[in-house]
Amino acid sequence: MLKRSRGEKIFNVFNVTFFTIFAMMLLVPVLYVLKQSLDIERIGELSLSLFPRKFSLVFYQMIINDRAIYRTFLNSAYITVVGTALSVFLNAMGAYALARRDLPGNRFFIYYLVILPMLFSGGLIPTYLVVKSLGLIDKLAALIIPALVSGWNMALIRNYYWSIPPSLSESARIDGAEEFTVFFRIILPLSKPVIAAIALFTGVGFWNTFFSAVIYINSPQKYTFPVKLRELILVQYDMQRQFTEALQLRQMQGSGDDLLLASLTQEGLSGAIIVVSMLPIIIVYPYLQKYFTKGIMVGSLKG
Amino acid sequence: MIAPVFILCTIFHYIPLPGIALAFADFRISGFKEWVGFKNFQYIFNLNFFWDAFRNNWVFILLRYIFIFPSPVIFAILLNEIRSKIFKKAIQTISTLPHFISWVVIAGIFISILSPKTGYVNYAIQALGGKPIYFLSKPKLFPFLFTLMSIWKEVGYSAIIYLAALSGIDPELYEAAIIDGANRWKQTLYITLPGIKGTILVMFILSFAGIMGGLFEPIFVLKNPMIEETAEVLDTYIYDIGLVKAKYSLATAVGLFKSVISLVFVMAANVFSKLLTEDKKSIF
Repeated sequence: MLKRSRGEKIFNVFNVTFFTIFAMMLLVPVLYVLKQSLDIERIGELSLSLFPRKFSLVFYQMIINDRAIYRTFLNSAYITVVGTALSVFLNAMGAYALARRDLPGNRFFIYYLVILPMLFSGGLIPTYLVVKSLGLIDKLAALIIPALVSGWNMALIRNYYWSIPPSLSESARIDGAEEFTVFFRIILPLSKPVIAAIALFTGVGFWNTFFSAVIYINSPQKYTFPVKLRELILVQYDMQRQFTEALQLRQMQGSGDDLLLASLTQEGLSGAIIVVSMLPIIIVYPYLQKYFTKGIMVGSLKG
Repeated sequence: MIAPVFILCTIFHYIPLPGIALAFADFRISGFKEWVGFKNFQYIFNLNFFWDAFRNNWVFILLRYIFIFPSPVIFAILLNEIRSKIFKKAIQTISTLPHFISWVVIAGIFISILSPKTGYVNYAIQALGGKPIYFLSKPKLFPFLFTLMSIWKEVGYSAIIYLAALSGIDPELYEAAIIDGANRWKQTLYITLPGIKGTILVMFILSFAGIMGGLFEPIFVLKNPMIEETAEVLDTYIYDIGLVKAKYSLATAVGLFKSVISLVFVMAANVFSKLLTEDKKSIF
């Protein structure tokens, strides 16, 4: 190996330092929120430590005990499970038809389902009015059904189908198998890797459902978990504002501590919700990681 | 077998399309009243709020191209220079994760650490003898803060494609360059960058397709009345007039205006793609 010059050594030190700092910038905020959620020692000296001073699970107990909060968790879990299962199944089936270049209208379906939806959309209000006229407003189904079809996922699955030797399905057809049988017995079992990958990505998407819930859901008991979190964040914002105003008016005696206490309690609860909403994603993350390089790379829409 | 997706796509994608006509009508919760031609557009073009949102929208887009777009390229090139495989893998694992976390959660984290009294950042400032700053109440600061948060969230994930391109560069090129006496900087300039030029170009062109989008969720969850003057963008504005104030026609008009701009950019991207790629590829 060639000798490294001084400049390169300096660069290497700089580079490693840079990424170490970067990693800390990513980790510290999350660890701080984790600490806030586990700490009930609320008022005291400023502390940059990331360890809770008085460990407690009280904020997590608040989530479990508060029906208004854990219901939203269950709502998110419900749309994630049902939405992912339906979406993956329907897209995998649609992709099977898209993969058959020999079928008439194949190009048409590719434009209709994959390409045009990426270019044109009715926009917020027209889509809202359609969902409304179907009677889906304020129903969890409104968060699932409009989000089921994904042209992008269909394109990815279709590309995978192409890598399966056509002789397998051909021989089945010669033996008299129907298309459904070919799909369920041959294609689907051979496509487990791509199905798993798409399921994970779709699942993360449903778990993070926020925008459509803000638009279509009115009753708090049907909120998704992220919407509930947003509600708590707003309270937190309001407290921060009050706090800053109080600070400016120098009225910190007496009422100031109450406000600080309330604000910190709020932060502990938000922190706990943040941790709980990140948890499922962190759990599936190692599996996601296995797939996402491939997922991005096989993104060719050509065909 | 294509029927279910075909029907769903038709209902939720194609049936709303004629609804765009609402932009030319007087349509309220009570129902359709009359066709008004371009009156809705005249009305919104005379609103200061609309132009504020329009301008802010472009500030965010500009910042995206100046800072967010190059960040994963630099990130990938630097990470590629790290020798330790374990360190590299660790950095990749940590930096990619935030992509999968929703903006609401990310906003929650940042609001917590930037909080004026109890946030980590202000602890640090106070520990160094400074005065606490309420970061998220400063309108001028917000676009930059938002840009930083976006980089924080997405840089690792966006870098994947560049890292893949980097690993595709022939190592012999580097060996030859070293023999010719090129140092690391020269190698980066003459081998690495040209090696991933194609990928950068493709990503640049593809980014045009979603140029006006992707701002609703992050802005919506970070916005507060104190920073509205710089935080309101077209998407949040459409939501506000359309669903909060129920002025369906006006919101549709703003949406259509936005879609037309997006479409122009997609078309431009397609032209660029045909001109710049070797095999005259269209992106569709």
